[in-house]
Amino acid sequence: MKNSKLLILITAMVFIFLIGPFIMIFLTSFSSDAIMRFPPKGFTMSWYAKALNIQMFRTTFWVSLQTGLLATATAMLLGVPVAYANIRFNYRGKGTLELLFSSPAIVPGMVIGFALLRFFVYVSNIPIVIGLYLGHTAILFPYTVRVVSASLRNFEGDIEQAAISLGSTPLHAFFAVVLPNIRSGLVAAFILAFITSFNNVPVSLFLTGPGVATLPIQMLSYMEYYYDPTISALSSIIIVLTVIVVQSAEKLLGISKYV
Amino acid sequence: MAFIELKDIDAGYEKGKPILKNFHLSVEQGELVSLLGPSGCGKTTTLRTIAGFIMAEKGSVTIGGKDYTNVPPNKRNIGLVFQNYALFPHLSVFDNVAYGLRRRKVSKPEIAKRVADVLHLVSLKGFEDRLPAQLSGGQRQRVALARSIVIEPELLLLDEPLSNLDAKLRDEMRAELSRLQHQLGITMIYVTHDQIEAMSLSSRIIVMNEGLIEQSGPPEDIYEYPATPFVARFVGFDNRIDGTLTRLESKSVHVDVQGVEFISTRPSPNLSKQDEGKSVSLYFRPDDTQIGVEPGKNAFEVTIDFSNYQGNTTQYAMHLGSHALRAVVPGKPIADGTDRTVFSIPPDKVIAEKGVR
Amino acid sequence: MSLKPKTKALTMLLGAGCLFLLAYFLLPLLFVLYESFLGTDGNLTVSRYLAVLQDNQFQNVYLRTLKMAVIVTVIAVFTAYPTAYLMMKIKSSHKAILMSLVILPLMTSPVARTYAWIVILGRYGIVNQTLSLFGLTREPVRMLYTEGAIVVGLLQLFLPIMVLNLVSALENVPSEVEEAALSLGSSKIGTFFRVIVPLSFDGLIMGVTLVFTGCITAYVTPAILGGAKVLTLATLMRQQALVLMNWEAATVIAVVMILTTLILHTVLKRFRPRNQT
Repeated sequence: MKNSKLLILITAMVFIFLIGPFIMIFLTSFSSDAIMRFPPKGFTMSWYAKALNIQMFRTTFWVSLQTGLLATATAMLLGVPVAYANIRFNYRGKGTLELLFSSPAIVPGMVIGFALLRFFVYVSNIPIVIGLYLGHTAILFPYTVRVVSASLRNFEGDIEQAAISLGSTPLHAFFAVVLPNIRSGLVAAFILAFITSFNNVPVSLFLTGPGVATLPIQMLSYMEYYYDPTISALSSIIIVLTVIVVQSAEKLLGISKYV
Repeated sequence: MAFIELKDIDAGYEKGKPILKNFHLSVEQGELVSLLGPSGCGKTTTLRTIAGFIMAEKGSVTIGGKDYTNVPPNKRNIGLVFQNYALFPHLSVFDNVAYGLRRRKVSKPEIAKRVADVLHLVSLKGFEDRLPAQLSGGQRQRVALARSIVIEPELLLLDEPLSNLDAKLRDEMRAELSRLQHQLGITMIYVTHDQIEAMSLSSRIIVMNEGLIEQSGPPEDIYEYPATPFVARFVGFDNRIDGTLTRLESKSVHVDVQGVEFISTRPSPNLSKQDEGKSVSLYFRPDDTQIGVEPGKNAFEVTIDFSNYQGNTTQYAMHLGSHALRAVVPGKPIADGTDRTVFSIPPDKVIAEKGVR
Repeated sequence: MSLKPKTKALTMLLGAGCLFLLAYFLLPLLFVLYESFLGTDGNLTVSRYLAVLQDNQFQNVYLRTLKMAVIVTVIAVFTAYPTAYLMMKIKSSHKAILMSLVILPLMTSPVARTYAWIVILGRYGIVNQTLSLFGLTREPVRMLYTEGAIVVGLLQLFLPIMVLNLVSALENVPSEVEEAALSLGSSKIGTFFRVIVPLSFDGLIMGVTLVFTGCITAYVTPAILGGAKVLTLATLMRQQALVLMNWEAATVIAVVMILTTLILHTVLKRFRPRNQT
């Protein structure tokens, strides 16, 4: 059966629409023009040098990296047991708890950040960075539960029972038999959650302030004042890094089935 | 007391909805018992209750004189072989087999020796470093067996272990299981829905249905003298005619079916003199019937509903009164233009059992 | 007795997660909800709600946000369906490439992705330059800081989600079903609407839910492409809180935002088919 021309046309337009903007960013990042003009004129790497030399970008990059790693690690520690319980056990109130565990993905990120700011920073006077870490952990939690559940679902419960019948305690069986076999799911969950945190704006929006910002927040405020290809260069770097991580994760783990 | 005793067991996957109710089972040491029945009959539940993965809501489990009712599965020393093998995908054949020994803190050289011995026993020498994914179905099954017998379990439970293999491999593995059982003298409980498998392997078969034991006995008894309508159907006695027991003698049973006398020369051990005058059911297999012969003993006229030529044989669907009957007879369909014919069953091929209420 | 180990295991597995969410997620949200009803004198009142809901600007922004979400969702459905359908028909190696092209934007920073539209739609961007090259316009058209720009940005942001949901839904539709419908005399288009769409309806509703609620709560895109000129619910909330320091209004907007998403989730869930095989 031939696929109709209209179908191919729409699909082609969709992919141009999805990918085109990335190409645009790359092109302007090398332009020697200080205003962003199409077609770009000249060739320079100076925007890259500038982007990498702006202190605020360097500082906030580390904040984003640390927040992402810590929040992801915490979310994994909380999420893996929850995923395991939901796949292996039936219990009363499971539906309600599953709703609770998925709710940080439903409640708007901005509201989560806003609530944490109001409650913790103003009422309990905790440092804003802690709020940032907690907010990111909350939104990554449902993510890790979902991805780990998906990979646990493909792991037969019989294998675990075999280990127990051979003398393992349930806890030992979990570490000796279950975890090694869902390793790729765990790594996928970690990568996906980290990227989600690293890119996040809504939750961070209210949990950043003078002195503490994440990279995306810093980029946003830079864009309010400057209109030159520095952001193109920075975006290009981020995009290339993302492509490398996502593509190698896809090759090694087949990450797309967890998205 | 038997080696394994289940007493008054209520057990199931959901509390308050037991699959086994008031269940009793006893197995002697060294027996190879098959639990035979269709899916959902409770045979796997029984196995899991013995293994300890299902904790009975009520009743007791005793193995070798010790009370195991509340012993967790990892402390039971029971070998378990799964339908899908359940090998550890990330471990080599050696490590799979050594798993239980390491849990038991067996010394390294001892592990090496015992794993080597058991791999020799299941003809898998030289496969030590392979991963499960690199093995064929039959080889995986051997690893699963080796893994569960190397811990020298008191008891080996097998849950449909051959059902994922093709027919030829299944025969081979069956012979191998038989050999292992004789060699090791280990008590085995074998769950299957395949009666041929159960017949050829076991010293005793327990037929289960809806959480109850329908019949328990040596394979020949089950096959020749099914005690209940369910077992009769299960072992191929597809035809049933109801009647009244008129006379029970040592070598023959006489049954009245709507004024016609049926004789069976195979009195069932389940019948006694007291059953005379009570209702009984006659059972026979479709391929033991004869069609179109002279009226004589155990013969009667029936209406043919349709016939179905199958090459070597012809299958007939008929009815006698309200009883639907099936016959499988060698040769082509009889073509005499009428749909009436004489149907007969040799007295040594029909059995009479207590009737269903 | 027999249930005890299970209860213990469940407590160990679920305890930490539950506590975390209760303390750092539910409690703050409930606090905001409580705060939204708090009057100046410490009494509970709906005066904050009245102030916000009766405000003309809020009403405009709210309706505009809904309107743009509807537009984006509709365009997304009508472009993502053919795309997902075609992706199911092509060779699997080609499909894998397209899949990674769908996932890539999803994994990339929304700030970078939205920023690209400044380059494209700007005064000297490719669109304006092309228009003037063909002599269609004399002066650059102002495209940034319009509703249209936000719609385009949101569409690029959420289209991949719609495509992914439809692809995974269509993967569950056996191709024999389509062939059966065709062999029974159904036209290609008829088959699509009568067989393919109903069978992938669950994925469609999932996609619509995610895209629609995503549009309503999106911050980055309207912030960059709308600025203070074209406010949406999200940018209005930030403006009230961080620029005008009107925390009372921001709190109410936060509650309105949650309610809107929850209502959308609940309503759209009703459309999901219950027992699909």
